[in-house]
Amino acid sequence: MTKKLLMGNEAIAHGALEAGVAVVAGYPGTPSSEIVETVARQYARGAAHGVHVEWSTNEKVALEMLFGASLAGVRGLFTCKQMGLNVASDALMSLNYVGVRGGLVLVVADDPGPISSQTEQDTRRFASFAKVPVLDPSTPEQAYEMVKAAFDLSERYETPVIVRPTTRIDHASAFFDVQEETHALPPLDGGFQYDPSRWVIFPRRAYEAHGEINERLPLIAETFSSELPFSAFNAMEEAGESFTGQPTFGILAGGITAAYVREALRMINERAAQANIGVPAYRFMQVGTPYPFPERAIDAFTTGLADVLVLEELDSVLEDQLAAFCGRMHGAFNIHGKETGAARDRGENDVDDILARIERFLGLTGRLSLYRFRGNSDYGARSIHLSARAETDLPDRPPVLCAGCPHRGAFYAVKQALGGRQAVLCGDIGCYTLGNAHPLDALDTCLCMGGGITMAQGIAVANPEKKAIAYVGDSTFFASGETGLSNAAYNGHDITVMVLDNATTAMTGDQPHPGTGHTLMGADNKPLSIEACLRANGFTLIERTNAFDRDASVAAVGKALDFEGPSAVIFEGACIQLVKPKEPVIINNEICTGCKRCITAIGCPAISFNPNLTGPRSRDRGQATIDKALCTGCGLCTQVCPFHAIHMDSAVYRGAPMFVTAASQTVDEALADQELAAQREPGRLAETVVDARAESKARAGAHVSREALEDDAARMQAYASAAPASEEAVAVGEVAAEDAEEVLEETLEPGGTLEEVGERAEEQQQALAAEEQQAWIYDGDDDGPPTLFSAFDATDGEGGRND
Amino acid sequence: MINVMLTGVGGQGTVLASKILAQAAQDKGWHVRTAETIGMAQRGGSVVSHVRMGDRGEEVFSPLIPKGSADMIIAFEPAEGARMLPYLAPHGMLVSATTGIPSVSSALGQNPYRGAQVIAALADAFADAPERLVIVPDAAILKRVGNSRVLNTVLLASAIAVDFLPITLDDLYGAVEVCVKPAYIDMNLQAIDLTLG
Repeated sequence: MTKKLLMGNEAIAHGALEAGVAVVAGYPGTPSSEIVETVARQYARGAAHGVHVEWSTNEKVALEMLFGASLAGVRGLFTCKQMGLNVASDALMSLNYVGVRGGLVLVVADDPGPISSQTEQDTRRFASFAKVPVLDPSTPEQAYEMVKAAFDLSERYETPVIVRPTTRIDHASAFFDVQEETHALPPLDGGFQYDPSRWVIFPRRAYEAHGEINERLPLIAETFSSELPFSAFNAMEEAGESFTGQPTFGILAGGITAAYVREALRMINERAAQANIGVPAYRFMQVGTPYPFPERAIDAFTTGLADVLVLEELDSVLEDQLAAFCGRMHGAFNIHGKETGAARDRGENDVDDILARIERFLGLTGRLSLYRFRGNSDYGARSIHLSARAETDLPDRPPVLCAGCPHRGAFYAVKQALGGRQAVLCGDIGCYTLGNAHPLDALDTCLCMGGGITMAQGIAVANPEKKAIAYVGDSTFFASGETGLSNAAYNGHDITVMVLDNATTAMTGDQPHPGTGHTLMGADNKPLSIEACLRANGFTLIERTNAFDRDASVAAVGKALDFEGPSAVIFEGACIQLVKPKEPVIINNEICTGCKRCITAIGCPAISFNPNLTGPRSRDRGQATIDKALCTGCGLCTQVCPFHAIHMDSAVYRGAPMFVTAASQTVDEALADQELAAQREPGRLAETVVDARAESKARAGAHVSREALEDDAARMQAYASAAPASEEAVAVGEVAAEDAEEVLEETLEPGGTLEEVGERAEEQQQALAAEEQQAWIYDGDDDGPPTLFSAFDATDGEGGRND
Repeated sequence: MINVMLTGVGGQGTVLASKILAQAAQDKGWHVRTAETIGMAQRGGSVVSHVRMGDRGEEVFSPLIPKGSADMIIAFEPAEGARMLPYLAPHGMLVSATTGIPSVSSALGQNPYRGAQVIAALADAFADAPERLVIVPDAAILKRVGNSRVLNTVLLASAIAVDFLPITLDDLYGAVEVCVKPAYIDMNLQAIDLTLG
């Protein structure tokens, strides 16, 4: 068996499969999504025997389904992100009272930072609130072990068990040995056992069950303190010099922070050894089972300590429990942590911060700093900093809607249709939350899954003079949109719901949902219709439109906005991750005026502005330019440009770049950049410069086809005569058409007939191609063409890490 | 411990590159941890992959590279490399692609971002240690390869060819064969050869 590089989430999935899990369900959410996906992949490969895996419509549905499976005697795995547990909490709180049969493990991924979430809530806290045991891994390897152990614990104490990894566990990778094939365990004792006195929750039963929970938690805490494998998750170590016979400093850590502490302690010990400084004796313990608090292990840890530094992410869960323990035991140690300002009160921890805090705690601050850097060699050793100016010039790069994303068209159409009307635009959870960024500025609110539809109703009631608009994605629609829809119809709220149907759960990596009909078990069921759901929930005015068709979308939105009462527009357009891109659009730089409208209207990442491009109408203003690698040919920008300078359907021009220059601006730009860089770095980039020159010659020689030019002129005339919406548009269209004709004439005149131009260009291109090919053939001679790395010849053998 | 940080823009392929490096290190018997940016930032935002290798037999604890301790930063985009300079060790090397990727917010501004400006700023920053800055003419190489999807392999080959990391080109060939889908192995191996000229 060869070891495989597995992400924490993949390892968690393998751990559950190896533990004999029979049913796996969840709802996608970063950073948890890859767990269910891995199980599905193993199932699809035929390696996970006997397992059922599904994306449920939401977390509550998934957990309830799994609880049914547990009562039916099989092991179940639930996965979600931290907010998903809020949705499933109704089920969780009660099912803990009822108690489980087949092991039920909830992997709830927390997201300190937060990196992709609305909250920094702490699932360890949720576990103690729900009175459910929780395990907290510090590495992907530990997550894998913990998931296996959690199933055994669950069945032994008839309790659900939570495993709580964080992003840096879920999305960190290490090498694993995992079983090639796995088998689900059969149902316990022949399946469901009829016992209404246990499985039907009533107040009297709940009172009894509460007592049972209170009795088992101390037993579980004892298991955590003293029984393998759990006691190994609460491992303790001692190090440093002993001044007083035993350590007085203690460091208590949980989750990924425990890994940071191990790293920081190693750095401290190495640097102290280099500086010949003694490190005070200290004791370090990871709490891998934060609830119920493993008090006996904690007691051993705190014995003789005078000061304890508690390091954890999110809430002060360990710190609070340690304080309670200390008070109850009349402990004589000081506790330092989030509550005392000795640790970050929010966001992620990191080695740098943990290192500084431990140095301070151990009284080493400033004493090790000279020895901070342990490079292999001091060759050229110097920290490198950008100038302050260059630092501020770095482009901001927040996440954006992809080029070709259908949501962009929907947002643009809604804004166009609103015109001057006042409106509140309620967003929701998904890729389309990114629509809030400039220049789309498409969202005014965002709360939680399905919350846009219902928030809009509150806004409609409170501010009837404003249009109340809710955006909801297709997956969110099925997850938690429908109860809000029926409320709007029932209570007569005047809202318009914009359903952004991109046929997938895009933000989390394209998971299927009820509207797609695809399942993880391979079978395809009939897709549920969003329109039928809207109708069933009392919506009578429902418009459907192609999200990439601006005029149709604006008209559809207008109709829905004018309707009194709940209305909806379904924008249809597939996520770019699902469909093959079309040919990129082309900007005609004879027509582009450099007005930037395409950029300021829709903010597509495939359109940028190059101040160095010139044209007859843009003069020295610069021009918009298309990144051909990013553009999917969605065509939205062609409908936005007031001068019709952007064209799609480039099949017409394939093989014959329109108007000579339009085809490869991105490559040109890149090469121009490299030429510039080469001027500063003589020698290193010599080859690039050769390349850039060849490229520009090729451009000059590109030929023009008559069909392309004529077609363009015809297209311009068609735009002009296609009954545009305003007088302004008519004028713009006419000007564009005239321009196109002029360009056609000018292009034809100077070089003779089109055929002649074409022939000459072809000859030129062939010559260039031959020349380039020659330049790229490396003849094996060391004195041959300059290579990329020739600049390093001089330093060979001096630096580097290869001794 | 060897720390390599790969940085770029979501969608550029840093994740596969970090897998290839991790595989190369694993094949040498080193303990390895990696960490990736997955989620919202993948939508055209700045992304970073961390690869940490215990080349002296030591265990790697944290998957994330501390500041000032990256032996090498491999930048798939020059501004992203420049952004990560605080992570570079005092002896560390920056290997950067030349081609700048515009961002929407910079396209909206008065001075649209151009990769060349950042390359120039980097050359200034490394003026005292020019041997620690490698600029890879990615557009030219990719054109030679004929496929823009192998940027990650081109940059890895460049990073290893400068003979700074204790990982050889043979290690790279071996790791590519394990990590890359069979249909694309030849294309990637060819990309390595064409990168080396």
